[in-house]
Amino acid sequence: MKSTVNAPGVAPRPKSRRSSLMKAIGRRYDLYLMLLIPIVWYVVFQYGPMYGLQIAFKNFNPAKGILDSKWVGFEHFQRFFESYYFWRLLWNTVSINLFSLLFAFPIPIFLALLVNEIRNKAFSKMVQNITYIPHFISVVAMVGMLLLFLSPRGGPLNTLIQAFGGQPVRFLDLPGWFKTIFISSNIWQNMGWQSIIYIAALSGVNPQLYEAAKMDGASRLRRIWHVSLPGILPVIVILLILDVGHFMNVGFEKILLMQNNLNMESSDVISTFVYTTGILKGEFSYTAAIGMFNSVVNLMLLVLVNRFARKKAETSLW
Amino acid sequence: MHNHRGKTIVITMIASSLALSGCNSSGGKKDADNAGTNGGVKTAGFPIVQDPIKLKMFTRTAPVNGPFADMPVFKDYEKMSNIQIEWTEAPTDGFAEKKNLMFASNELPDALYRSGLTPMEAVRYGSAGQLIPLEKLIDTYAPNLKKLMDTYPEIRTGITTPEGHIYAIPGIVTVNAARTDKRWINQAWLKKLNLQIPETTDELYEVLKAFREKDPTGSGKNDVIPMTARGGLAIVNQMAGSFGLDFQLGYNINLENDKVNIWMGSDRNKELLMYLNKLYSEKLLDQELFTQKEAQYLAKQGSGKTGFFFDQTNNPMLDTKVNDQYVGISPVKGPHGDRLQSNAAPVARDFGAFAITSENKYPEATMRWIDYFYSDEGSTLLRFGRQGENYELKDGIPYYTDAFLASGNQAKITPYAGGGAPHLISEKVASFINPPQVQEAQKKLDPFMPKVKYAAPMFDEQTAQKINTLRNDIDKYYDEQSTKFIVGALSFDKWGEFQSTLKKMKLDELQQLYQTTYDSLKKQK
Repeated sequence: MKSTVNAPGVAPRPKSRRSSLMKAIGRRYDLYLMLLIPIVWYVVFQYGPMYGLQIAFKNFNPAKGILDSKWVGFEHFQRFFESYYFWRLLWNTVSINLFSLLFAFPIPIFLALLVNEIRNKAFSKMVQNITYIPHFISVVAMVGMLLLFLSPRGGPLNTLIQAFGGQPVRFLDLPGWFKTIFISSNIWQNMGWQSIIYIAALSGVNPQLYEAAKMDGASRLRRIWHVSLPGILPVIVILLILDVGHFMNVGFEKILLMQNNLNMESSDVISTFVYTTGILKGEFSYTAAIGMFNSVVNLMLLVLVNRFARKKAETSLW
Repeated sequence: MHNHRGKTIVITMIASSLALSGCNSSGGKKDADNAGTNGGVKTAGFPIVQDPIKLKMFTRTAPVNGPFADMPVFKDYEKMSNIQIEWTEAPTDGFAEKKNLMFASNELPDALYRSGLTPMEAVRYGSAGQLIPLEKLIDTYAPNLKKLMDTYPEIRTGITTPEGHIYAIPGIVTVNAARTDKRWINQAWLKKLNLQIPETTDELYEVLKAFREKDPTGSGKNDVIPMTARGGLAIVNQMAGSFGLDFQLGYNINLENDKVNIWMGSDRNKELLMYLNKLYSEKLLDQELFTQKEAQYLAKQGSGKTGFFFDQTNNPMLDTKVNDQYVGISPVKGPHGDRLQSNAAPVARDFGAFAITSENKYPEATMRWIDYFYSDEGSTLLRFGRQGENYELKDGIPYYTDAFLASGNQAKITPYAGGGAPHLISEKVASFINPPQVQEAQKKLDPFMPKVKYAAPMFDEQTAQKINTLRNDIDKYYDEQSTKFIVGALSFDKWGEFQSTLKKMKLDELQQLYQTTYDSLKKQK
């Protein structure tokens, strides 16, 4: 396409390049017009608001507006780094996500491999449906269910513990339990949904490879290890990078709803802290600084993981 | 051909960018033709304005309320005053969020009604210019409010900033009984188990223990809650007086010889928390104390299966007709002989109940509009609705009619239900919240009320910011640790660590800031 447009180029280089670009745009103006929509969306809703980030370095006064508020430099960042809660917030945010990645990330892959191995079509469809339906439960209902199931007064789990002669456990009041409950309920809710992509990727693996492996006498496990997994590895890597992309800010609503003074020690994360101090107490500049710190950490993580993936797995986002 | 298309693209782009920038410029600007509007506002008599005007107000609605626009008080008052109110309602849950976002985005209504602004917020948004100073307006256009402020000078000191500005006006309570939570004990159980009304913390412990162990309901099951309180740390406020801990200046502060003492890390507080820990670990204190919501708590009050709890009125007990089981008692005497009803609100009970924003074109008319509710007449309209339909007068005092109470709509027609409405609560309008049973319960508290009660003071902007920064960390820490101490998740061996962390969070500096403010308050008088 491009070469045919450029072929009869006789005019001086720079000029022709420019005019040919204009020509190309003119010829395919409808496509560019369509491109305009996402570009405008990005500019207005993604890049535009970043202009407000400057309040992290100012004492934001809403009546004066963003531009006329007074500059204070890194005061708010300093306050956050020196805050009693800084290390706790950082540790909770990082650890919840790290454990999620560690435990919640591989499970959909296992599930997809399992479903893929099921011969009976009807049964495999049923398994898929059962596992992905919880995804549609809203966060509020989900937390309500957790409260009910884990209630020390008549909750099914505690009734069971008592039936075996144990003492009821106040799961949601114990900081030690918080992360386990949060992550395992996330797994229960989302594993089916997240496995859909892997199942789709698995169906794209060339069946001849399986047959060849079979001929060579590979067992089922061997076939999974040497055919299925390598077949979906690029998808796994890309999803991993995407997950790291929102490493620092998952599960805000759910954590907020599950929080109480007793489990705060392990449930207080940056995003909920921003909400309670920033929005509820009106400290906009301070929490803008915290939010910005959060995003910067996240961006660095993303770049690191991406670089690592490009080197090791030869797949990456860019 | 191509050229023409290129132009179309450019035009589309310009048009869309214009449309987008159009969104930004609409907010914020004040109308130029502001002057001269107050010419039509009369300083007395109704209607307030000759030509009808419209005001936008932002308000909080409690779950028990109906829509504000349908309340008889606002319907009738609109006709009376010629001022129409367009309400923006936000439910209690999430109200703080909406309120602060509104200020942050500077998209303000004309006034905030029942807004529960904190002193910090009033100073912050007042000095930012989003709330207008009201002191001059009050002098001219709020005769009722002014009279109250002259009768109770503590109202004025409690709402005026060091610079002399008033940015928000409070709900005012001249009935003692509406400023305390009564201590309701189940006298039917006491009688059944042959127990005396507890006078000391130890006796209270024994009584609660008996409630728990001796099956006062006779159900054969262990289904009673010996003691409960509002969700969270309200229990600390209720019991603090028995350990000599007071709440002055709206914070955990004791005043001793003009010395401000923040008692959070004190030995007295340790004793209090240890006492509560004992109650909690022996299941005498509601095990759901820290997770229960308001609705659950109110339901427990009406269940008849609760031994001892705290509430301002007997209203939650009325619907289920268990109110006869309960009687109000005095605060119990603590191990050091302290017996203080420290949990009492000041006369200006609901700070920041009403404020006027810089968007308002008719501040004078707005001030007159709200002032009516600081009179007995206006408050009657607000609390009781229409005579005949909702209430009847007996000896000049309004009472809800039985027919209306039976309809179950009492809380729907008045914005006072759910708390925090800007108006006057005087003896005259308190028949419903202050029936004989509540009056009796209040009499038990009266001898133990603190002599002086300093409300949360107003700070200048700089001090407010400092206190805010310090308290954000300290309060969060204190709440968490206190909860843990009570529940037993943190052993009292860690008390030293708790004290030193408070110190690290600069509790001394906070105390010094309160001291300075208190000193200047003293000087003003």
